[in-house]
Amino acid sequence: MLHVNQGSFVKEVLESDKPVVVDFWAEWCGPCKMLSPVIEEAEKEIAPKAKFVKINVDDNPALAQQFGIASIPTVMVFDKGNVKDTMIGFRPKNDIVNFVERNL
Amino acid sequence: MSERYDIAIVGSGPAGLEAAINAVIRNKKIILFGTENLSNKLIKAPKINNYLGSFDVTGKELMQKFKEHISAMNINIVEERINNIYAMGEYFALMVNEKMYEAKTVILAGGVEYTKPLKGEEEFLGKGVGYCATCDAPLYKGKKVAIIAYNKDAEKDANYVSELAGKLYYVPMYEGEYSLNSSIEIIKDKPIEITGDTSAEKLILKNEELNVDGVFVLKDSVSPGQLMPGLEMEGEHIKVNRNMETNIAGCFAAGDCVGKPYQFMKATGEGQIAALSAVSYLDKK
Ligand SMILES: Cc1cc2nc3c(=O)[nH]c(=O)nc-3n(C[C@H](O)[C@H](O)[C@H](O)COP(=O)(O)OP(=O)(O)OC[C@H]3O[C@@H](n4cnc5c(N)ncnc54)[C@H](O)[C@@H]3O)c2cc1C
Repeated sequence: MLHVNQGSFVKEVLESDKPVVVDFWAEWCGPCKMLSPVIEEAEKEIAPKAKFVKINVDDNPALAQQFGIASIPTVMVFDKGNVKDTMIGFRPKNDIVNFVERNL
Repeated sequence: MSERYDIAIVGSGPAGLEAAINAVIRNKKIILFGTENLSNKLIKAPKINNYLGSFDVTGKELMQKFKEHISAMNINIVEERINNIYAMGEYFALMVNEKMYEAKTVILAGGVEYTKPLKGEEEFLGKGVGYCATCDAPLYKGKKVAIIAYNKDAEKDANYVSELAGKLYYVPMYEGEYSLNSSIEIIKDKPIEITGDTSAEKLILKNEELNVDGVFVLKDSVSPGQLMPGLEMEGEHIKVNRNMETNIAGCFAAGDCVGKPYQFMKATGEGQIAALSAVSYLDKK
């Protein structure tokens, strides 16, 4: 999964021609670590219909602030520059696939 | 990598024990989580007359028989409280704080004893309300946070959060001495409701209101839906079919946690079905 930061956010997420699934995470977050391999499995199932990226909230506090991240992991689907839907907390693969598919 | 069990059973009441003995009879490698006393409900039962084969017994007597039964089968109880279970796909990760156990299948048999949520708690979950202070504390750097604490364990978390938060209120729901950093403000009042617009903004108590950016609710036990993200519930019970299968493949449930009536015989019967379902799930793999 591509790591996005403050500098590449506009180009990689807001200006993407495909919907983008953004995983907000941090090193110290246990559930984020568990979600990582599961979301990568979901990506295999959904790609190439959507692009999957990760944002580290510690390194990018302004982005976390901008999107009101109050709990991680938070997964957001962006489409045409807007947040379409938000999912908070760990979820099994099927739930993530359904959540993303529903927002494509 | 840690040892991966065939079946992890969460709960040492009648449902969990019956599941354990049936899984062991079927030669599965199991791990059983619970308490030395098996179940508080079992101990409390004054007289039991509806348990076939054991007429006119007290809960304590029945507990003693259950204990003899499992020890004769070399089944041990691992005295740990599972905080979270993650369905990883191929396996389940069962967390006890930082420690992790792995199992191919899980049987949930934790009974029902969780604290009712506060008004607004579920609405703002993930939007200012959280159950793991140490997990989300860094997101509240310099902000106002309240901790509603149901047990002493929460004091450690509170001291950690107070080093990051701008202001920390501690609302203890238990009596005793509190060993807390001096910067923490203790509020002895009864929480009523969490309110806000798109995220939590206020904790309303009986006698006052606190303006906050976040509220952490730290309980003894959380509902199964919180314990295992993605688990489908039906009201306050876990949704299962006749084979005791939940909506998550490889996860089964039995006993009071799946619904009424709350009875020993029902719990054990369901524990047995759950174990046999888990066995056939494993054998098909
Ligand atoms: C006073 C009283 C009298 C009763 N009398 C009768 C009677 O006469 N006849 C009858 O049929 N029924 C009776 N019942 C009901 C009976 O006690 C329950 O139906 C039965 O105990 C349910 O069994 P269970 O295995 O589902 O759950 P429980 O017995 O509640 O056991 C669950 C166990 O799992 C543990 N646990 C929960 N979560 C976790 C976790 N995350 N990690 C690790 N461990 C966990 C709990 O600590 C507990 O030890 C009575 C109940 C009470 C309170």
